[in-house]
Amino acid sequence: MDPDTRIGGAADRFPSTHLSLLEAARSGLANEALDRVIALYWKPVYRFIRFKFGKSNEDAKDLTQAFFASALERDFFARFDPDKASFRTYVRMAVERFAAKRHQADTRQKRGGTVTLEPLDEQAVSTESPERVFEREWQRQLMALALDDLRRHCEANGKQLHFCIFEAYDLAEDDRPSYAELAARHAIAETAVNNHLAWARRTLRALVIERLRGVTSGEQELREETRRLWT
Amino acid sequence: MDLSDAVLDRLRHVAALPDLSATRYEIEREIGRGGIGVVYAVLDRDLDRRVALKVLEVPLAGEARLIARLEHPAIVPIHEAGVLPDGRAFYTMKLVSGARLDRYADEQRSLADRLRVVRRVGEALAFAHSRGVIHRDLKPQNVMVGEFGEVYVMDWGVEAVGGTPGYRAPETVLDHRSDIYALGALLRFVVPSSAPPALRAVVARATSADPAARYPDVTGMLDDIERFQEGLAVEAWSEPLWHRTKRFASRNALLLWLVAAYAFVKFLLFFLRTL
Repeated sequence: MDPDTRIGGAADRFPSTHLSLLEAARSGLANEALDRVIALYWKPVYRFIRFKFGKSNEDAKDLTQAFFASALERDFFARFDPDKASFRTYVRMAVERFAAKRHQADTRQKRGGTVTLEPLDEQAVSTESPERVFEREWQRQLMALALDDLRRHCEANGKQLHFCIFEAYDLAEDDRPSYAELAARHAIAETAVNNHLAWARRTLRALVIERLRGVTSGEQELREETRRLWT
Repeated sequence: MDLSDAVLDRLRHVAALPDLSATRYEIEREIGRGGIGVVYAVLDRDLDRRVALKVLEVPLAGEARLIARLEHPAIVPIHEAGVLPDGRAFYTMKLVSGARLDRYADEQRSLADRLRVVRRVGEALAFAHSRGVIHRDLKPQNVMVGEFGEVYVMDWGVEAVGGTPGYRAPETVLDHRSDIYALGALLRFVVPSSAPPALRAVVARATSADPAARYPDVTGMLDDIERFQEGLAVEAWSEPLWHRTKRFASRNALLLWLVAAYAFVKFLLFFLRTL
């Protein structure tokens, strides 16, 4: 493997991400494992609660916070059985049960009055299921975390130009510059633009896989999640 | 960083692209996507020809090298195998132009055409089995019918493949009889539901849940298909007497007509003599 893409070598900033989720939990790093889970899952859980239960922004934040606090208190990882479902599915189902109970309790408290659910703009126009929204947000957050990792990795290794070209080309919302324009802008050859882009994409891929390794139960689940992400 | 849907999709796409900068290949387009990898049409710059390049999400096991040595007209030849800078395995093979079997079978094809394809697939399987290789994931999407009618079986024997529902045999450990199950499912896919009972019996035997109840080898199944095509009794079916008679009549129509004509003439002569 290209040494540049061996994110997590000797100087790795995230040494524990070499361990799978369950390995980390078993070796007494449960809190660190949970940190990784929260970094990736906070937003998808929040969005799922808003979307599925029509909660307001603040209520959804509180519920999300309460869910992770509850996961800290309970034996959250020990209950996960990789033979039954992926960790992503396990988290979503746990959130669903947790939020449904809280939602029912809120409804009982307010019985006699009027329970109003805050409509979500995106809910009004989206035809996607809450499960699909959860997975999409999970992908978005995974990619965002890996992009942050890539930026830091480039800065730490003097590859700011690589990131700059990658950002201009692959992160452009529209009006993507051509290779020739990028080459002229940075006074490099077009082949160098091509090589820089290839490096950045390859490194991003490695970083995504490293992030995934930290939140999956082992090689089998990692492979399945990787395949789902790329296809 | 808040990514829009469009940027997210682009990143998912570009991060999955193989980095071929250190190879002699240049990606032209994606041509297929399966459970374990993606196939691209690429230009081999050195030889100035187009080939197919498959990138695998699973390690390339030793078995794949064995497959590369399988030389059979219905097995796509592998040109080269290697590892990309990101650690993924890839291999290049002949780029087959034609139609995948699922699309080929959608078109108006005679039963004989469809059975010819299944027999070619079976011949490739029988050859591979004789070399100790099993396919593991035989299905219409892994069979190509070329523009000259040639048949290719692709995506051989990667161990990480668990098979495809509808084509995967129920047993946990796959062996050559699991391929027979898949070939039976393939036969069921290509023949109409109104197929003759003898042919349906071949499908039923090949796709028995119990591996021991299937054909012992692919050749046995191919022989039964051939017997069906020649109007003979198939091993998979205990034919009722009326059906056997009908089949006999159909196979020997000329002889029966001659016997009937002879009997008629004899009867006529006998009748005239008695007048």
